[in-house]
Amino acid sequence: MAKLRLDRIKPLVALGVFLLAWWIIPTVVKSFLKASFSEFQAPAWVATSYLDGLENFWARRSHSKVELIEAGKEVARSKSLYQFNSQRKETLENEIQRLEAILNLPSRREFRYEVARVVRRDLSAWWQQIVIRKGKDFDIPVGAAVVFSGGVVGRVVEVGALTSRVELVTSPNFRMAANFEGDERPVVYQGLPQSGFGDPLGTVRDAPQDVVASTQIPLKLVSTRLGGTFPPGLMVGRVSWLEPGSTGIFQSGEVELDARLLSLHEVAVLIPLYPIDLQNDVP
Amino acid sequence: MFLDPRAILFFGANALLLYLTMLVNSALAGWSIYLLILGPMLVFPVLYLRHQSYFICTLLTGLWVDAALPSGFGLFTVGFLFAGAFTFQMRIRFRAESNYHLTVLAHGVNFFCILLVTIAMGSAYITSLGFWLQVLVTGLASHLVLLIVAPWFFNFERMLFTLCRLEPEPEDLPIL
Repeated sequence: MAKLRLDRIKPLVALGVFLLAWWIIPTVVKSFLKASFSEFQAPAWVATSYLDGLENFWARRSHSKVELIEAGKEVARSKSLYQFNSQRKETLENEIQRLEAILNLPSRREFRYEVARVVRRDLSAWWQQIVIRKGKDFDIPVGAAVVFSGGVVGRVVEVGALTSRVELVTSPNFRMAANFEGDERPVVYQGLPQSGFGDPLGTVRDAPQDVVASTQIPLKLVSTRLGGTFPPGLMVGRVSWLEPGSTGIFQSGEVELDARLLSLHEVAVLIPLYPIDLQNDVP
Repeated sequence: MFLDPRAILFFGANALLLYLTMLVNSALAGWSIYLLILGPMLVFPVLYLRHQSYFICTLLTGLWVDAALPSGFGLFTVGFLFAGAFTFQMRIRFRAESNYHLTVLAHGVNFFCILLVTIAMGSAYITSLGFWLQVLVTGLASHLVLLIVAPWFFNFERMLFTLCRLEPEPEDLPIL
């Protein structure tokens, strides 16, 4: 009889022992377990991404020669435009460096751009993250800024051997310093829990009282140097309404983010060329 | 035998189900639809295996899910073992040969997983209407898809028994 009772509570006893063990196990062991399981899964996602690329390659091979010639012409036009822009950028950069030298300004943070494919999107009510196909193999650091053609994407939160996880700008866990275009005063941007209907949204806080936004002339929220993660001037979103915040001193409002954030295929990771020097770097 | 070979089979099938779900989620991200289909992973190990093999299979599955999803590490490991321990005690009540009971059980476990992750990850946004709206949509979509996926997954696991020439009957159940 006693044996029968023990058998019946065996699953609960095992659960209790496991919970106790899980509570006692040091964080190092848990981190090791997580890293091991994640690294074991990563090759499958990398392989899926390469297969996706192969599929696209074969899909493009089925295009006719006329279509390819047209696409080639389009690329040639874009290339000449980008070459012109590149020359202009170089001239402007030289001019900036000359002026900085005259004014004896402290050095700015410089970044290296590492373009990476998105292998997975985990966008739900509970988390807003993407996984990219580059990790420690390309020296991606934790905390690096991630951008795309439409502006800020997010920040790297976890780096594996082959992949990295990026917290999206839409996530409530994401917060950054920003400013409105043409106004140097800093504000705070934070992601919001997404409803899943309509474009993604964020929120802006600590906007000065004299800033006015309207649906006719929405304000552009851009990144700032503050924090040192993002270069200045990258688009975060548009603000078409501001109202007094809970303190009454500052204003707050919703930020309309780029809808393309939900279907990203390629992003660029900004890797600082040198570590932050708190003494000499511009904040 | 220390470990029932079927435990390895179940773990492999669970990893495959998770991989396919995440592929679908990745493709559906543009439509803001997310599927959380974890319920079927627990059903066969609980009903078919002895306690030792069930425990190892569920533990590995939980760790695998925890490593794949951005939730706190250990959430699904503990959650699976918790749900599994209670289901294991009641397993005599479920008929494993047909999909009806198994599908109901899968829905129950899946609902528990959605509840668990909502409590663990969403406690900070409890006042946000948008958050609850998306949880509702996710829950409805997941359980609708589960109506199709669960029977397919169970039949797939039975097919694996046949292919691998393993015992297709649940173990350790009392003869009625």
